[in-house]
Amino acid sequence: MDPMIAALAKAAGLDKVLAKFPADIEHAAAQALGHAEAVKYPTDPAAEPWPPMKAETAL
Amino acid sequence: MTDLHWLSATDIAKAYAARTLSPTELVRALLDRIEKLQPRLHAFIRLDAEGAMEAAKAAEAELANGHVRGPLHGVPVGIKDIIDVAGLPTTGHSKILVDNLATKDAVVVSKLRASGAIVMGKLSTHEFAIGGPSFDLPFPPARNPWNPRHHPGGSSSGSGAGIASGMFPLALGTDTGGSVRNPASVCGIVGLKPTYGLVSRRGVFPLAFTLDHVGPMTRTVADNAMLLDVLAGHDPLDPGSAATNARDFGALLDRGVAGLRVGFVRHFHEMDMPAHPDVTAALEDVERILEAEGAIVETVTLPKLSEFAGINRVILCSEAWSIHAPWLRERPEDYGALARRRLLPGAFMSAGDYVGAQRRRAELIAAVNDKLRDYDVLMCASSMDPASEIEDAAETARTYPRQARAPFNVTGHPALAMMSGLSHDGLPVSVQFVGRYFEDATVLRVAAAYEKAAGWYKKHPPI
Repeated sequence: MDPMIAALAKAAGLDKVLAKFPADIEHAAAQALGHAEAVKYPTDPAAEPWPPMKAETAL
Repeated sequence: MTDLHWLSATDIAKAYAARTLSPTELVRALLDRIEKLQPRLHAFIRLDAEGAMEAAKAAEAELANGHVRGPLHGVPVGIKDIIDVAGLPTTGHSKILVDNLATKDAVVVSKLRASGAIVMGKLSTHEFAIGGPSFDLPFPPARNPWNPRHHPGGSSSGSGAGIASGMFPLALGTDTGGSVRNPASVCGIVGLKPTYGLVSRRGVFPLAFTLDHVGPMTRTVADNAMLLDVLAGHDPLDPGSAATNARDFGALLDRGVAGLRVGFVRHFHEMDMPAHPDVTAALEDVERILEAEGAIVETVTLPKLSEFAGINRVILCSEAWSIHAPWLRERPEDYGALARRRLLPGAFMSAGDYVGAQRRRAELIAAVNDKLRDYDVLMCASSMDPASEIEDAAETARTYPRQARAPFNVTGHPALAMMSGLSHDGLPVSVQFVGRYFEDATVLRVAAAYEKAAGWYKKHPPI
């Protein structure tokens, strides 16, 4: 396993998973990268996130 | 009266009013049906036969005295097992919560009880509404009534299997990446993910706070509107609840679609994720039927499915990780393999990934809203394939993500999936209709017009 992935897993407190299910850790890291890469971030620095703090009367 | 198990809620209410059927007679018939089919379909995690009969007797007494609470009085309903029903465990189909007894009803269950509906029990789900069809959990996975060798979709899998097989006419599901609409699509029923914030989620085990919805699942569109009427409403204690006056979701059901403008998002199933030919052919039929009914159908373009899916996954995994991290750290072996694998990616996403996805989400919402200024509803695929065989893990893993439902969890628009035909193998295929915020009634209107013209609701699984 890539030592960086193992280090990130330990930092996330996943020592037990790392010991018992190392393939799940490798799979999760690859999935996370794939999902994040699919997202195009806004080019406008002022673009704010959804959701608003509370939906209230409308979305 | 024969075939009580295929009666819609609307028909049941009429039969009660005409005194040709009683709640105890109906519940007994459905319990017999459940006893016969449950060993093959596993729709229930926990059947509450005793509670259902008690509720049926109470409803019968009230109806006999002329006290009609509403159209759901005495109508049986199944509850997905991530939604609290007081006195029954909410397990999430997981060893993690196998002894988790609910002490209070979820808001949606309280509303159902107040309307006189009869809770039949707790229904199978994918583990914590995120796993998949799994054989390493405390309860077996639900199966598809059209062919029990196939999966029934999910995560609201017992809801889909139970409705399609005539175990009950109504059920509650939840939908974070498509989990009401997936079983609706592959079991040949009607599933609505309402507008985000329209239905309270309090008392429902969360998966991802900004994507979670509770939705009605039924065999007919009219029943779906009737169930939504009971479920909808502002809940000041649900932080995502919207203070809206949207009501009477069945008001437009008889209006037809003449003159309505329908934007057909073809690229989802033609280019982004080329669909199974039977799905594509059925979608073309839907277009023809809507045009024949007077709708104006035009092709529209939205951002690519892969981007919606990526944003859905980043947000879902990040929010779900924040819920499951303590158990994943301490009890990883108590999760099934699929749920563990689907929850762990959240540990490897950064705060920047999450905020970036939420910022881009606002742009995608604007893109969909932009189209909905020109069109009354959008139409697109739901599942790109009929259901795979449940024991074919590789094919299930390949086909499960091939869907166009997650975009509308990202945007929060109301989205309904329903049967649009049968594949050559005799499995349901589906279509999805999407509307403007809080115009769930218009989505139901289009669905009702299509349902009436196409007639698929008359078709039941050969079980």
